[in-house]
Amino acid sequence: MGNYRFHTPDGVSDLLPEDCQAKRGMEQKLRSLFISGGYREIETPGIEFFDVYSGGRFVSPENLFKLTDQEGRILSLRYDGTVSAARLAATLLKDEQPPLRLSYIENMYRFRESGGGRQKEFTQAGVELLGVSSPQADAEVIALAISSALEIGIEDLQISVGQSEFFKGLMEEWKIATDGANEISRFLDQKDTVALERAAARFQLDEEARQTLLMIPALFGTYDAIDQFEARVKNPRALAALMNIRDILDVLDDYGYIKYVSVDFGMVRSLDYYTGMIFKGFTYEVGFPIISGGRYDKVVSVFGRDLDAVGFSLGINLCITAMQRQGKEFVFAGTDVLIGFSDEPGMRAAALTMAKDLRAEGLIVQVDCQQKNEEEISKIAVSQGIEQTIYLQADDCDSFEGEKEDI
Amino acid sequence: MITIALSKGRLAEQAIDLLEAAGYDCTAAKEKSRRLILEDEEAGLRFIMAKPADVPTYVEYGAADIGVVGKDTLLEEGRQLYEVIDLGFGACQMCVCGPESLKGKLDSIPNKRVASKYPHITRSYFEGTKRESVEIIKLNGSVELAPLIGLAEVIVDIVESGRTLKENGLDVLEVIADISARVVVNRVSMKMKAQNILPMLEAIRLEIARRQRNDKEISES
Repeated sequence: MGNYRFHTPDGVSDLLPEDCQAKRGMEQKLRSLFISGGYREIETPGIEFFDVYSGGRFVSPENLFKLTDQEGRILSLRYDGTVSAARLAATLLKDEQPPLRLSYIENMYRFRESGGGRQKEFTQAGVELLGVSSPQADAEVIALAISSALEIGIEDLQISVGQSEFFKGLMEEWKIATDGANEISRFLDQKDTVALERAAARFQLDEEARQTLLMIPALFGTYDAIDQFEARVKNPRALAALMNIRDILDVLDDYGYIKYVSVDFGMVRSLDYYTGMIFKGFTYEVGFPIISGGRYDKVVSVFGRDLDAVGFSLGINLCITAMQRQGKEFVFAGTDVLIGFSDEPGMRAAALTMAKDLRAEGLIVQVDCQQKNEEEISKIAVSQGIEQTIYLQADDCDSFEGEKEDI
Repeated sequence: MITIALSKGRLAEQAIDLLEAAGYDCTAAKEKSRRLILEDEEAGLRFIMAKPADVPTYVEYGAADIGVVGKDTLLEEGRQLYEVIDLGFGACQMCVCGPESLKGKLDSIPNKRVASKYPHITRSYFEGTKRESVEIIKLNGSVELAPLIGLAEVIVDIVESGRTLKENGLDVLEVIADISARVVVNRVSMKMKAQNILPMLEAIRLEIARRQRNDKEISES
């Protein structure tokens, strides 16, 4: 014991002033963006009951930070924003009429992640649009995700959009039961064409179906990709999914965002969770998606209220890492002025008044609190990178106003 | 610039040959040196020479865009990657092995001790596929020793020719999976660098198809 007192635990880290300022700046931009779209911010507890997550099997228990309360009940640190928002919408906000637009910027905790920009503790900013199921709602959330990334300075952005119903429809058409579908979804998720070929043979898919299956991981694009699948598929569920993505693309075109978007029907993870559109956002220099979102209409019903839901979250720490590696400089606003003063009567009051006035004008001002003399004040300023100093003493009291004007 | 992580050793050599044959200039990678990063600015390629078990990690985190690594390592590491091409070489099998006397009787031993370099594969095979709890003993090499000296009843290991097994009086009891070298791609690189990566994958696929045709012709003639 005691040897770890200088360290932070694995998967968490300190944020130094420069990075912290950059991060807070981003959070503020995102907060304003969310609020301006009608997404009211909520704050949910950092600690939830374990049951909140296990009730809907949203998260595998191994990924939760667990502790117990005085009653012996199992608690968990906040894992994501969606589940807590869903709980809130179904309980405290149960009398509010849909649509509900909620947003959050919070730290999330994941027990098994660490390294490479993926930490156990990280900040997510996200929104939930609850109680509406329409392509326009889906597109609103995708568009807000794109705006968010652009707003904080991510320029190279790609959004992949998929549809979980398309895959489920295909499985229906090919009469493949849940176990087989899960297996195939895993191969699709890994774009493992070798395993897909084998699966096609094992499930005795005809040539047409085999080709369709192999097209899924390979085909990117927008309307053209949808056209190609539409020509090959007969299942109504899968066709409806394609139509849904077509409609979403139409709306995104109206937003002027279609250039960031491509479709990828190979995104078939967490099929129990997602019930429609799924999307992810990518940029250069980080190996993980910076944005993740989609439609999960069954999540709120776990808490006793039937509300459709669509939302996204953006990983702020990943975005900062990406932008740093992309060579973006974050401008740090350091102290502008250091004020010192002599021990003559009235000088301290004058210094404090001057600091107050300068701060009111938007400058960052430090006042010396060690009674340093003029020379020492200059030294401190140099060592801390402060460009301007003011030293107040009785004989040049008259020129205070002049000095203030200069700054 | 595309960064390619190679598994140091024979797999790296074979991968470099393949890339050359597919039309990529790999002079940088063939340089005989102890440097771990070999870069060719002109060809737009950078090679990382890594321990096989680390290749999936480099690729998952995006430190490398592409990796060439054995399926055994992929199964053991269980990383979130795109596994796009089976290169065919480095072929072998992941097997449960033990004394010949146990053939067909594996399920009859309760509370088995299983020694392996691949604890994760072992766990997922016995617990996931066979629905059986076993005690897993992690070893780092010469796993065949374990059943011989009574450390474990059986082992899980890769089997190429089976000679080492035979010479130690062991045999394959069950086959878990077919293993060969795979091309893996980082999930973000696949999207962000698609215009460079997709043609490279296509060229590799064509080269493999060409080799398979050749092999077939040779075997037919």
